[in-house]
Amino acid sequence: MIKVVGIFGLLLFVFVATAIADPKFVTGYNLQNLLRWTSLFAILGIGASFVIVSGGIDLSIGSVVGLTGCLVPLLLSKGMSVGGTLLAVTGVALAVGLIHGLLVTKLRLQPFVVTLCGLLFYRGLIRYISGDQVQGFGSEYRGLRSLATGSVPIGFSEFQIPAPFIILVVITVVAAVLLNRTVFGRYLKAIGRNEQAARYSGLPTDRVVIGAYVLCSLLAGLGGVLFAFDMNSVQPSGHGSFYELYAIAAAVLGGCSLRGGEGSIIGVVIGAAVLRVLYNAINVLGIPTQLEFAVIGIVILAGVIVDELVRRWVTRRRLLRQARGARR
Amino acid sequence: MKSCTVALIVAAAMLFGCDSKSSSSDGGGKQTIGFVTNGVASFWTIAEAGAKAAGKDLGVQVEVRMPGKDGAGDQKRMIEELLAMQVDGIAVSPVDSENQLDILNDAAKRTKLVTHDSDAAKSDRLAFIGVDNYNAGRMCGQLVKEAIPDGGELMIFVGRIEQDNAKLRRQGVIDELLGRSHDPSRFDAPDVGVLEGGGYKILDTRTDAFDQANAKAQAEDALVKYPEIDCMVGLFAYNPPMIIEALRGAGKLGQIAIIGFDEDDATLQGIIDGHVHGTVVQNPYQYGYQSVQLLSELAKGKSDGVPADKFINVPARKILKDNVESFWTDLKKLLSAVPTSQPK
Repeated sequence: MIKVVGIFGLLLFVFVATAIADPKFVTGYNLQNLLRWTSLFAILGIGASFVIVSGGIDLSIGSVVGLTGCLVPLLLSKGMSVGGTLLAVTGVALAVGLIHGLLVTKLRLQPFVVTLCGLLFYRGLIRYISGDQVQGFGSEYRGLRSLATGSVPIGFSEFQIPAPFIILVVITVVAAVLLNRTVFGRYLKAIGRNEQAARYSGLPTDRVVIGAYVLCSLLAGLGGVLFAFDMNSVQPSGHGSFYELYAIAAAVLGGCSLRGGEGSIIGVVIGAAVLRVLYNAINVLGIPTQLEFAVIGIVILAGVIVDELVRRWVTRRRLLRQARGARR
Repeated sequence: MKSCTVALIVAAAMLFGCDSKSSSSDGGGKQTIGFVTNGVASFWTIAEAGAKAAGKDLGVQVEVRMPGKDGAGDQKRMIEELLAMQVDGIAVSPVDSENQLDILNDAAKRTKLVTHDSDAAKSDRLAFIGVDNYNAGRMCGQLVKEAIPDGGELMIFVGRIEQDNAKLRRQGVIDELLGRSHDPSRFDAPDVGVLEGGGYKILDTRTDAFDQANAKAQAEDALVKYPEIDCMVGLFAYNPPMIIEALRGAGKLGQIAIIGFDEDDATLQGIIDGHVHGTVVQNPYQYGYQSVQLLSELAKGKSDGVPADKFINVPARKILKDNVESFWTDLKKLLSAVPTSQPK
């Protein structure tokens, strides 16, 4: 829990600071937008966190977003049924994760290389399949698209719960249980901490790692479809580009260690929220867009530094107290 | 073994023979012309169709290259590859004209170089084929005036501001609205703050670095920051569709005027539905067609197609509710007439 406190503090700080600087930040409409974008990016982040906990990395997330996001409108326009399309896209995402997992475990290739090649391959593939044409739903499939654009009224006139948030809540609960309350989750953390030790203890390391990659690609695929639903028109060359970095940043901000072995699902969601609140704050406060990345980079860095210092201070105090207790 | 060697030599000779033939600039062999865009967009697919159509009409081999996200870097590589192929001419839309002078001048030295869509006036290019972006921007400004005749607040959204065409378009909009004189060399920096005049208030210019999700989020954020905003102007092809989606989400379609640029399907549909007041379109098909045509002539040593000011104007047009349907029909006809290299 300690891990999440730091990042939650950062979120609260940016949130309150922006709200004071411009009260329009806390209008229902803006909060609803924030929640929607956060949900979409957090879904990718949760996927990334499974792979990161296993001690690996997935750089192909953005390209998988592009692949599934463009495939859905493309297949629908070719006359495929909604069910068939969603099934096909799920199959593609599953296959992508399975291939990554197999290459990483059975061929012992480095995750960085495998998924970097994936990043390039899927982007090229979808650009070719779609002929680099902008894909969109036009005025159709409004019902299907409401999975991303829809919202559920909760009694306020301005603020409604965006549909992606409901999807995120379900995913968060399932993922948190999976990571913290199941054998799979425990094995995953053990493998992330020390893969060889886990292997010699007789854990089915390969299967668990493959599972992590499959989960990551499935969630990236789902995210890609939801992004496409939300934006209606998607460019095969650009859809989802660089989103792996947002996903990894959210995961790391949320307490996942890039060395593997630890992670917190709720932390990842908060991490994604920090990123989106920063983006939103920059626009709402009218900070020049040219400064966007600079502001985001420096705020996150400051947050991580404070987080680290606080954690050290807490650990030191605890050790001191223990030492004093031992002396008595 | 011997016959193998002979066959190899013959094959090599044939290869070299073909090569020198294809790169010969006058008569005989088939000309090859490179056409480099500044990114990937439906706009460029139309230009590609034009370039390919010219290729077919004139018997010229056309090589189309579309750079990805790393605009300037990709463009450099693509131009170098085309030069290595010894093409007879290259048409390019420079991403960053100021800083690409080296590669552009290198290309101008090695082959015939023209710019299209966005100019690089300081380079040694032989001609520029495109729209007068400043004038097109002023047309956009006129559309704003039509949509909100009594004045009001507006905001400009564009992918990148470092490109000549984006700068000029934006300046055109600003100058038209503030009632300034015709001066394409004027430049208000994007972080200049609020610009006001003639009853119009230009609140801000936001750039999204070609990230569409970001473009949509920025339009939404504008609604938050400026709830009273009257009009949104999107200057790159994908900007108007993202503005439409943002307004749809906010339930403000039809309440806030949208002025677009270019002819994305969603923009045209928006005009038909009455959500978009109008859009200013260029003629990418003609960019492609005329680039190939001119380069083919130049490579044959004929330079009478180049006017004194080296600017071949392909005028922009306003598309409004009354002409959108016929424009769209013609566009579809053009696109389907020439099969592009990729499946649709």
